[in-house]
Amino acid sequence: MSYLILSIVILLIGILGIILNRSNLIIMLMCVELVLLASTILLLFESRVLYTLFGQIFAIIILTVAAAESAIGLAIMVNYYRLRGTIAVRALNLLRG
Amino acid sequence: MYLLVILIPLLSAVGSGLGGRYLGRKGAGLLSSVWVLVSSLLSFVLCYEILINGSTVYIELGRWIESDLLITSFGLQFDMVTAVMLIVVTTISGLVHVYSTSYMREDPHLPRFMSYLSLFTFFMLILVTSNNYVQLFIGWEGVGLCSYLLINFWFTRIQANKAAIKAMLINRIGDIGLMLAIILIWKEFGAVDYCSLFPALSPSSACTWICILLTIGAIGKSAQLGLHTWLPDAMEGPTPVSALIHAATMVTAGVFLIIRSAPLFDYSPTATIIVGLVGSLTAFFAATVGLVQSDIKKVIAYSTCSQLGYMVMACGTYSCLSSLYHLLTHAFFKALLFLGAGSIIHALLDEQDLRKMGGIIRGLPLTYVLMLIGSLSLAGFPYLSGFYSKDLILELTYNNYCLISIYWLASITAFLTAFYSFRLIYLSFVSKPNLTRIGAQHLQEADWNLLGPLLVLAIGSILVGYIAQNMVFAPGVRPLPLVPTIVSLAPVIMSVTGILLVFILRPYIIYYTTHPSIYGFLFYAWEFNQIANYYIGSTVWKFGHIVSYRTIDRGILEILGPTGIAQFMVNRTKELSNLQSGLVFNYALMILVGTAIALKYLVVN
Repeated sequence: MSYLILSIVILLIGILGIILNRSNLIIMLMCVELVLLASTILLLFESRVLYTLFGQIFAIIILTVAAAESAIGLAIMVNYYRLRGTIAVRALNLLRG
Repeated sequence: MYLLVILIPLLSAVGSGLGGRYLGRKGAGLLSSVWVLVSSLLSFVLCYEILINGSTVYIELGRWIESDLLITSFGLQFDMVTAVMLIVVTTISGLVHVYSTSYMREDPHLPRFMSYLSLFTFFMLILVTSNNYVQLFIGWEGVGLCSYLLINFWFTRIQANKAAIKAMLINRIGDIGLMLAIILIWKEFGAVDYCSLFPALSPSSACTWICILLTIGAIGKSAQLGLHTWLPDAMEGPTPVSALIHAATMVTAGVFLIIRSAPLFDYSPTATIIVGLVGSLTAFFAATVGLVQSDIKKVIAYSTCSQLGYMVMACGTYSCLSSLYHLLTHAFFKALLFLGAGSIIHALLDEQDLRKMGGIIRGLPLTYVLMLIGSLSLAGFPYLSGFYSKDLILELTYNNYCLISIYWLASITAFLTAFYSFRLIYLSFVSKPNLTRIGAQHLQEADWNLLGPLLVLAIGSILVGYIAQNMVFAPGVRPLPLVPTIVSLAPVIMSVTGILLVFILRPYIIYYTTHPSIYGFLFYAWEFNQIANYYIGSTVWKFGHIVSYRTIDRGILEILGPTGIAQFMVNRTKELSNLQSGLVFNYALMILVGTAIALKYLVVN
């Protein structure tokens, strides 16, 4: 149960970090990592409780996906920084409706 | 032959209208004149059959509207009333056609003019020969249309345009009355053709309403008091048009309607009294206005209005045939007067003002004699045709006990009629010359195309009253009103007094003799135009602008309709597009909220 609560708390921290963060894009990327981490914990916990391997398989897949995602995200960020000279989130709204 | 009388004017109209550029001016004039004269000869043959031999002819031409409750057919009915109207329409029209070939000789659009005249004759014949009210309405609208086209013949003149529109619109008020009357007849009696309708009549309250609506139709078309203002303005058209349409034929359509609907009026004493009152007031009103007019055509126009009042008044005394009789004689002498006035105008190089005439008796002796015959006949001088019909009407009104005021109005009108007719003769022919030098030098009689019709009409206005007096009252005899000797002498006394008074008042006649305000009041026709424009016209116009245009059309409907909805949609979409802020965390929030809502429903279900 405590694992469940832990994962939910981490998930909430990640989500709130994404939503409330106005300054830095790196923090946003870290919060995405947190969300993925929370989901990994949840899957592992579920695998432990239900005695199945599917959770662990998915956890490994999520780890790889998260690594790839952060790599691509950092690459985008670096390129963006080259162009604009800043990575503040609130300066990203050039494509407004 | 019965169909030919109607079809020949139509063929003439189509021929000179569509083929005008091939026929040329002379060809179109010749063609339409000859054809309409042939139609007029045929109508005389018909009159011999109908009036003398007493045969009524019905012709079924075909079905028109066949619905469950309304069956209307095209059909012709040649009875006594129609026969008299046929003489009036085709004879006057044929003579006016001949007259126009001379009067309008210089006009480049003569074929169009001839075509309109023939088309008018055709529609008038449709009106008088139809055997039901719906077909009558075709002719009724058709003559209104032709009136518009002919008044507006010189369409470059703004006054002619305005007069034509006025004639059309004021006639349309009467048309609404006629239309409502036809609908009411159909609703009440279920038939619109005369031979089914008139035997089926029964006294009912609807009869009164039908008759009042028919009277409104007649008021519009026959220029009775209230809706008369178009008739003097219609003098903007060429003179032959005034003679044909606004003196002899079209304006008598309203009287014809009342004569035709006489069985309906027999069931409605209220409407009959209204008809008598309207007619007598019109006669009196127009006669007073005719006293002071300075335009020669307007004097005659107001006298037409006054004589139409006589005819309508005669219908109001339950004696429609005497009205028809006056219609017949009036057509002859009024056409004569108008065409004579046209002859004067033509000789004076298009000068219509009575104050710039005078002394033209030396240049135009024949026109003088003809105009004198017309005026004497109009004034009801004994043994001319006007005398027979007018005398009869005046005596009939004396017998009308319920409204003796009608008699007095009619008698005063007879006096005034004589006065203004001879004022016209005096000012144009007898008084000292007031012409321009060029006008006086060119003063001469026109050719025989112009004078021939006048001669025929003059013979008509001498003899028609005597010849037709037993024909019009064909089935029975001329009604003999029982009146005291003084009353039967009164019209003659009145007219002779009127004629003599002109020569007594001779020096004062050209200047106004009475108080200037009365003179102005009469000159501006009792200020009817001004009153109508100020109180009715401008009120309706303001209502239309403020309420129906600005409040409803451009206000409520605009807000509820196109502009309002478009504005609303644009504003809402602007608000919606503001949601797309471009800020990443807002999108994330939306995704989460959306996911949460979706999850909630998924879990609940």
